[in-house]
Amino acid sequence: MRNLFRFILQYHVLILFILFEIFSITLVVTTGSYQEARFYQAGQRLSHTLSYKIENIRDYLSLYKENKRLATENNRLYNLLKSSYKISYIDSSFRGDTVSPRYYRYINAKVINNSVNKKYNYITLDKGRNHGIEPEMAVICNDGIVGMVQSVSDNFCVVLSLLNPRFGVSAKIKSSGFYGPLSWKETSRDKAVLEDIPHHATIVKGDTILTSGYGSTFPENCLIGVIANFKLKGGNYYEITVQLSPDFQRLDQVQVIRNEFRNEIKTLEQTAINE
Amino acid sequence: MNKGPVQIILQFFVLLVLQLLLFNNIEFSGYINPYVYVLFFLLLPFTFSKALMLILGLVMGLVVDLFMGTPGVHTTATVFIAFIRPGVLKFIAPHDGYDPNTLPRISYMGLEWFIKYTFIIVIIHHVVLFYVEVFSFAHFFHTLLKVILSSVFSCTFIILSQFFVFRK
Repeated sequence: MRNLFRFILQYHVLILFILFEIFSITLVVTTGSYQEARFYQAGQRLSHTLSYKIENIRDYLSLYKENKRLATENNRLYNLLKSSYKISYIDSSFRGDTVSPRYYRYINAKVINNSVNKKYNYITLDKGRNHGIEPEMAVICNDGIVGMVQSVSDNFCVVLSLLNPRFGVSAKIKSSGFYGPLSWKETSRDKAVLEDIPHHATIVKGDTILTSGYGSTFPENCLIGVIANFKLKGGNYYEITVQLSPDFQRLDQVQVIRNEFRNEIKTLEQTAINE
Repeated sequence: MNKGPVQIILQFFVLLVLQLLLFNNIEFSGYINPYVYVLFFLLLPFTFSKALMLILGLVMGLVVDLFMGTPGVHTTATVFIAFIRPGVLKFIAPHDGYDPNTLPRISYMGLEWFIKYTFIIVIIHHVVLFYVEVFSFAHFFHTLLKVILSSVFSCTFIILSQFFVFRK
């Protein structure tokens, strides 16, 4: 017995080694696909929380790339919209296709400077004349309209934000179609005011406000916001407070909309006035 | 000398985390999977208890196996290098032996010695690992290529890391 202990003491490293190796080789050999799956599950459960956290970090780090990818995709889809094409109604059965002349072209841009807390708010975008941007083009984001291009340099443009009293757009109530001018009254950074809605219109809180499409800047039916409040002003007209849908503080990717027929419309209107 | 155990435990966890979160995600064309956690065994002091090293080998191997879902494969390899390290150290010992006050670092032993040491241990580890993983010699050369390519990468990472971590 003493000899056995001495033997174990003398060769304890070798014995440990052989035991451990037998143990691990047994693990390798005996684990069929079922045990392996169980083993893997155990490990997964253990590492699940950890991997989840890591995945979150990884997601966060790739947000920039992902945003860019989504913006490009959005831009592509916007350009495929039926409303982006000019459809002739000479033949009413004709529904339009991609052969129809393009009416609106969407240009993807990134916000590089933005203000929401001043009286006159402006947004700077990373696209300019070189990318086909001209003054008075509409700017929207996925949640709604953002503003209108004011000045353009070769590579950048400055957008008159909706949160600027100098900005105005013709808006309509989706359900009834009544329209009027919408502008920002410096009151709150997420509210604008729609005026000149006649008193016989039915107005419900929560109704959607869209662009009317009058004027050649914004396409028809772009989202602006929902009715937050309304009151009669002077007995004849409603003054409607609109809750704006975009979060102007978090603007990142926007679409600049180029109306390909703008010049034609403008020239025609000008001649009509001059005649 | 008192901070020895703490430092070893720290190295154990740092290398484990690095391996599981960073190096496990590196995989080029299915041939190169660097296993940098071997560095843990390389950095242990010259006079470290052999039995304790085997136990650490078992624990390290089991944890890596658990996270990678490969029961026993890494354990076999880590226990094996834990066992063989004293022999390797004796084999590449300088003429006057090791000074027990020094550690196996580039700063004490020189770059040439460290590269030799790293390559021997890493290649042994990878040979055991990859052959146990496939558990046959059927695709002998395919596995050998994996061993060689992965070893080169593991060694490169390990030796480079020495310049970043143990700067004098």
